[in-house]
Amino acid sequence: MRSRLAVVFLKEIRDALRDRRTALMILVASVLTGPVTLVLVASFVSGLEERASTLRVRIAGAGHAPALVNFLERADVEIEKAPEDYLAQVKEGTLDAVIVVPEDFHERWLAHEEARLELVHDDSRTESGPATRQAERLLAAFNRETAYLRLMARGVSPSLNQSTKVERVNTATPRQRGAVLLFLIPMFGILAPLLGGMTVAIDSTAGERERGSLEPLLANPVPSWVFAVGKWLAAWASATAVVVLTMAGFLAAARLYAERKLPSLLSFGVPELAAFLAVIVPLAAFTSALQLLISTYGRSYREAQTYVSYLATVASFVPLVVMFSGAKEQAWQLAVPVLGQLMALQRVLRGDGLSSADALVPAAVALVLAALAVAAVARLLRDERIVFGRA
Amino acid sequence: MIRVDALAKRFGTVHAVRDVSFDAADGRVTGLLGPNGAGKTTTLRMISTLIAPDAGRIEIDGIDTVREPLAARERLGLLSDARGLYARLTARENIAYYGELRGLERGRIDAAIDAIAPQLELGPLLDRRTDGFSQGERMKVAIARALVHDPRNVVLDEPTNGLDVRSTRSLREAIRLLRETGKCVLFSSHVMQEVAALCDEIVIVAGGAVVAAGTPAAIRESAGCEDLEEAFVRLAGEPGDER
Repeated sequence: MRSRLAVVFLKEIRDALRDRRTALMILVASVLTGPVTLVLVASFVSGLEERASTLRVRIAGAGHAPALVNFLERADVEIEKAPEDYLAQVKEGTLDAVIVVPEDFHERWLAHEEARLELVHDDSRTESGPATRQAERLLAAFNRETAYLRLMARGVSPSLNQSTKVERVNTATPRQRGAVLLFLIPMFGILAPLLGGMTVAIDSTAGERERGSLEPLLANPVPSWVFAVGKWLAAWASATAVVVLTMAGFLAAARLYAERKLPSLLSFGVPELAAFLAVIVPLAAFTSALQLLISTYGRSYREAQTYVSYLATVASFVPLVVMFSGAKEQAWQLAVPVLGQLMALQRVLRGDGLSSADALVPAAVALVLAALAVAAVARLLRDERIVFGRA
Repeated sequence: MIRVDALAKRFGTVHAVRDVSFDAADGRVTGLLGPNGAGKTTTLRMISTLIAPDAGRIEIDGIDTVREPLAARERLGLLSDARGLYARLTARENIAYYGELRGLERGRIDAAIDAIAPQLELGPLLDRRTDGFSQGERMKVAIARALVHDPRNVVLDEPTNGLDVRSTRSLREAIRLLRETGKCVLFSSHVMQEVAALCDEIVIVAGGAVVAAGTPAAIRESAGCEDLEEAFVRLAGEPGDER
């Protein structure tokens, strides 16, 4: 004889799997999330790096600035002649930045007068930023070299002109740069269990009542906690399946990219996958239990659906709030559901590793809250107003 | 054996059941008869332990339903007012789920389904999903589900609702068979002919209280008329305004 708990659990799973269309839609969506996100983000990032990594400037009127051209050639910079309609092209975004040299540039430069140049760019296009900054840096370097040579010619130490020298040290490893862009992965990691548990949670509670099958079900000689736990486990299992598929999608996509051109952007291998699951699966226990509680309380399937989707909205706000408020990481945040998981996941992606506190504190909080929510569901199932509906 | 004593239940300001007492004996079919809103369904829900009574007590085979609800449910087969099925499961799976919830072995469940299916003419429906079932077909599955554990006491809330003539007759046969095997059968109906055709005992409720009880003959006698339907109308009075 199977335990009653297993009977309830297996029935809910079978029922959910029989709903082929919904199950398939959720599975396909979760498998595709990773690859689609990574392709979009990575192609954007690699586009940026590609634009900036080859030194190339476009100049209109290069003939008026032989010294600049000489400098750029020595610096191994590719010089391209800008097309006639460069202004329009910059506006459209087909050109990133164009250096425009006026006719009198060389004369003025030779005469040690202020020689003007124009750098044409479009600030509203973020993707043109790297190329614009590159052109700026090259022009600044040319300027520095010129000044240096002129001071030397007059017997003045060039360091007089440079009271401060700034050297940039960027502490972000390429991997961390990837993690900044891919705050999306933790976000999907947190949304996946919400998506995965929703259907089972609603169908097995609000749906059960709407179908009229709750009353006869509860007339069976089975304590209500068995139904609550069995249904919760089914929702949790479904949520976990979606989490695993979503993360496997990210793993596959990261592998694909690693083979090609972006080994440094994102390291999401099997150890990261394991760490992600260790963080998200306990969270899924809580979100499924909360969805179950909310749906049990909902008067109808539709009402339950509405409430449960509020939950997803609230959860997806947390990463955004964290990102935009610039909140500093603090220990207490680990104990806040969703926020704690988010912190832990970001640490994993930054390559900081998962300390036992990072993994255990959010998991313990999630499991305790899940137990409370399931206990509340069991209580509601004994409440005649819940079972027979309220006016 | 179901024993109901001085049952009362109110929902807010509505007194759904005021004073209901009766005995439903083993080997007999007891009919709970009353107009819509008389308190029949509320009474049956209290018997099935899903609603707690405000006052009074219920015993099923001597077990107090309030103190030992699980033990009471063990001895009960219930066709409740709501009889929804799982549309994505087959009729057999729907029935088997309740058998498993009652801890029956797979073999016993199959045997029970094989025994009940011909009585209710369920055979050709068994392995189809209940998705497209007619109301009558769904009802038959729900009845089979209530009987899968071979309960000693069977409570049926308006079992013939939605059944066609042929299905009604097979249900009556099934109920008679239950009586012959010594079961206690309690069913509710607002249809006089149903009750007259089947019942050994009739309990007429109106306005949340029992207004008459006894064999059909005794009821006719107490109402002072030959026709049972006439007696019902006289005893039940105006359709209840309760519920």
